[in-house]
Amino acid sequence: MKDKNQFLNIFLSAGLVFSLGACEDIINPTLQPASPMLVVDAWLTNRPEPQVISITRSQPYFEKALPPGVPGAQVRVVDNQGTLFIFLEDVANAGKYVWTPPPGQGFGVIGGSYRLTLVVNGETFEASSYMGRVPPIDSITFETDNRLGTSEKITRAEFWATDPTGIGDAYWIRTSKNGIALLKPTELNIAFDAGLSIGGQTDGVTFITPVRRRINANDKDANDKALSPIVSGDSIQVQIHSITVQAFTFLTEVGIQTNRPGGFQELFATPLANVSTNVVNTTAGGSKVLGFFNVSAVSSAGKRFSE
Amino acid sequence: MRSICRLALFLLISTSVLGQDKFTMNGTVRDASNGEALIGVTVFIKEIRNGAVTNAYGFYAITLPPGTYSVDYSYVGFRLESRVITLEANMQVSIELVPESEQLQEVVVKAEIEQANVSNMEMSTNKLEMKTVLRTPMLFGESDLLRSLLLLPGVSTVGEGASGFNVRGGNVGQNLILLDEAPVYNSSHLFGFFSVFNPDAVKDTKLYKGAIPARFGGRLASILDVRMKEGNNKRVEVAGGIGSIFSRLAVEGPIIKDKASFIVAARRSYIDVLARPFVPLLKEGGALNFYDLTLKTNYKINRRNSLYLSGYFGRDVFRFDKTQGFNWGNATATLRWNHLFNERLFLNATGVYSNYDYALQFGKDDRNRFTWNSSISNFILRPQFTYFINSNNELNFGADVTYYSFRPANAAGITNGKTVDLSLDRKFNLETALHVGNTQRITDAVSVEYGVRFSTFQYFGPGTAYIYGDTIPGVRKPVVGGREYRSGEVIAAYQNLEPRLSFRLQTSGRSAIKGSYNRMAQYLHLISNTTASNPLDVWAPSSNNVQPQLADQFTLGYFRDLTEDKQFEFSLEGYLRYTKNQIDYIDGADLLINEFLEGDFLSGIGRAYGLEAYFQKKSGRLNGWVSYTLGKSELQVDGINAGRWYETRFNQTHNLKIAAFYDISKRWSASANFIYTSGTPTTFPTSRYTQQGILIPHNAEASRNNVYLNDYHRLDISFRLEGKKVRKGKERKNSDYWVFSLYNVYARKNPFSIYFSQNDQRLPSGQPLQSDATQLSIIGTIVPAVSYNFRF
Repeated sequence: MKDKNQFLNIFLSAGLVFSLGACEDIINPTLQPASPMLVVDAWLTNRPEPQVISITRSQPYFEKALPPGVPGAQVRVVDNQGTLFIFLEDVANAGKYVWTPPPGQGFGVIGGSYRLTLVVNGETFEASSYMGRVPPIDSITFETDNRLGTSEKITRAEFWATDPTGIGDAYWIRTSKNGIALLKPTELNIAFDAGLSIGGQTDGVTFITPVRRRINANDKDANDKALSPIVSGDSIQVQIHSITVQAFTFLTEVGIQTNRPGGFQELFATPLANVSTNVVNTTAGGSKVLGFFNVSAVSSAGKRFSE
Repeated sequence: MRSICRLALFLLISTSVLGQDKFTMNGTVRDASNGEALIGVTVFIKEIRNGAVTNAYGFYAITLPPGTYSVDYSYVGFRLESRVITLEANMQVSIELVPESEQLQEVVVKAEIEQANVSNMEMSTNKLEMKTVLRTPMLFGESDLLRSLLLLPGVSTVGEGASGFNVRGGNVGQNLILLDEAPVYNSSHLFGFFSVFNPDAVKDTKLYKGAIPARFGGRLASILDVRMKEGNNKRVEVAGGIGSIFSRLAVEGPIIKDKASFIVAARRSYIDVLARPFVPLLKEGGALNFYDLTLKTNYKINRRNSLYLSGYFGRDVFRFDKTQGFNWGNATATLRWNHLFNERLFLNATGVYSNYDYALQFGKDDRNRFTWNSSISNFILRPQFTYFINSNNELNFGADVTYYSFRPANAAGITNGKTVDLSLDRKFNLETALHVGNTQRITDAVSVEYGVRFSTFQYFGPGTAYIYGDTIPGVRKPVVGGREYRSGEVIAAYQNLEPRLSFRLQTSGRSAIKGSYNRMAQYLHLISNTTASNPLDVWAPSSNNVQPQLADQFTLGYFRDLTEDKQFEFSLEGYLRYTKNQIDYIDGADLLINEFLEGDFLSGIGRAYGLEAYFQKKSGRLNGWVSYTLGKSELQVDGINAGRWYETRFNQTHNLKIAAFYDISKRWSASANFIYTSGTPTTFPTSRYTQQGILIPHNAEASRNNVYLNDYHRLDISFRLEGKKVRKGKERKNSDYWVFSLYNVYARKNPFSIYFSQNDQRLPSGQPLQSDATQLSIIGTIVPAVSYNFRF
């Protein structure tokens, strides 16, 4: 129900009216060198499709290449029933490990808990997760307004779903538009129960407005003018992924560290800090590791907008 | 506690017995032009080479053996007044001083200024004359008290547009800002570009950075004591101005001549009015403005009693259509009674109400809406006595009782027609303090001030207090229990004894060494984890989980008048401050409407130290000052920077400021200031990694504030043109002037911050993500401005 960044965004758009001559320059500072760290990217879902775990290494901040994959790892997941899921190395894509479900089935069940074990260069890493429940999406609607003070049309999408009663459900709402995933930092959409934060006490109701509407692409034209998120012919696909409370905290931190729109919002930025991880090296004092393991149940809906 | 009272009583009785064969002269010193009481006037008795200084109400008292004395009343900017007084009984000598005409400023004030750094007890204290504030070149040409304050030694800011100020490495929440004795919780309008103080209504400003007298307490770093004008009691006067951001109007005048007067001063910004035709938002019912109203009235009932009533009300409003937006503001009211019990015992009793609140509303329809308001309000009772024991001792004692009521969130959300109550418990607190302090002249060359403040704080019910479990440092603490408390039941209580000591040792007629030690306790905490504090930041009281902040500060200084006429003054001061129970926050802390807010707090220690050099030329055609501070401010908090010491975000190693004022001709004058500061520290990443197509920055050392921004420097100038004094052969009744100013003359892009982000381009899957570093300058250009000001 509350979103500090949203409040501040609005507050700070006041700064635009109040054009002060703020200016921003892209710079190339020299950063301290650091050795690469192991990175685990393991977000599994119950969707009937191959599940991929990536193992890579961190890069210097300004590196303009794909992260290097780590080959030769053993990757397994065990559930609370003792079922073993072995992820096989994709020889064509270094660092990708894949488990393919039998036709028509997905990974895991709601209520199940899972333990990931990785063996990389003789070191063992572990992480655990559970699959939470997920509500169905009731509908997706479109609303067309005039851009403030003009006759220009702006169309926005909104999804409708209701958080089940009981505190502690967490979700990542992932949207793609015309088949392209919306992954900009400003497009990250997470919810705790029906609201925006753990302390938010918004349980068992329809997702609140900022969650329902943050499924819109945030694009600008060459003149930095916001484009209508939806135009005639666009289709969007919305998926609600259930996530763990720990994953919610992780993604909250990711949001804080990555969503840096600049401008006057910098007045109210928090310090750069490292995002947490749920992967641990079983040997104390072993090499450090980054990244996250989460298992999601997914509900989805799609709709095409035509005038 | 009881023993302190007894001591005070004993001192009172014993000294009045001792004082039988002496007489007291006392009175009030006022400005002859408008009847305003003058604060800090030196009353110097030549025969004993000693004297007194008028207090915040313009009052002084000196007790002497019978005899004939020559007395000089002197005050910067006023003609010296000399009197020969034969003291045969207690007597009252009230004086009016005549201001040096501004037009005569090129005539050097010949009178010897006794109110010098060297003979004065004070150290670590800066007085800011309103005349100086009005002549300092400012952003958009709008004179501003807090922006001018930044030109003083030991005062800094994290950057342009940041609200508040930092004193000697303290954070913005460690300053107590008093407007006519009422605490102001948010001193800014429109981010931090302007302060809430209307320059037309302010009489006098004093900043205490160290050697803080026992009568002040409640914050660690400084006390900013702003006093409002009382209003001209001789004639009606209207003053105002039209600037680029706001317009001002002030009316003051007598209600009963020489007995009662008033002042009403108002400001309103009008950028929204001017911008309305061009900005669609404003046409559709949006608003962006701020306004404030400052008023004061006083009534001198008789020689022994005066009453003052003052108030402030200000608000910032931002709406982005008819129903959505937010607003915030302060309201204060102060009722003061000055009473003279006898020739030597003076009472100032004050009752204060102060409130800060904000309100937000979002949602376009009744089925989907969010409303939230939050407030902190307090009531204060503060009797303060000054007992002028004799010419060598001045005793101050009194009490402070403050009742706080916090409303962290009164909030509700409506989603799809269903209402969810998000409100948090209100919090109630009582802070009390008893204080006593004596300023004692031991010899001509040695004086000391010693005192103690005993403060207590109670947090009481009704409410729920939570208990948090331990966890690894830097991670959110889990709630392990909670307890409901009944109304009035004490949830947490603290008490602190705060000793205050300072000394002055005059080493020659023109130089002195001064030193001090003080302990300060702070029971309220500004909860903010952002670079600059914002209007939604809340204040939180000390509780079962949050300990009061404590500071011990030591200062040592050397003060020197460089010439016989005391035109040139130099001082060098070192300070060292250790702080305890400093609040910092876990990464990803959730500070707004969080029932379990305290689980996101971290606690640590701090240290700040530095050296301040100050050179001032007080008057003459060219006057001004140079201030240089070498400083460091650090924190050590478990869970941040891997537990190592780290510099605060507002730490500045070098901080140089030059302010100069020059009278070009009878009508033209010029002012300039130059600021140079070292870049503030910030945090850079070393590495990056991706999760699900999102690029995340990472620092391999888990450092905080590990690199520095580029240095900051800026030159501002302004020219002032006085209106003609004579028009068509007749002297004009009204006066006016124009101010032409240039801010950031050489248009330097001073960095406010450098931030790291994923490039905004939408890339096809499988392409490497691009990362950028961006340097932001809040004001990266020259800003010219013109304002017109009048008085009649």
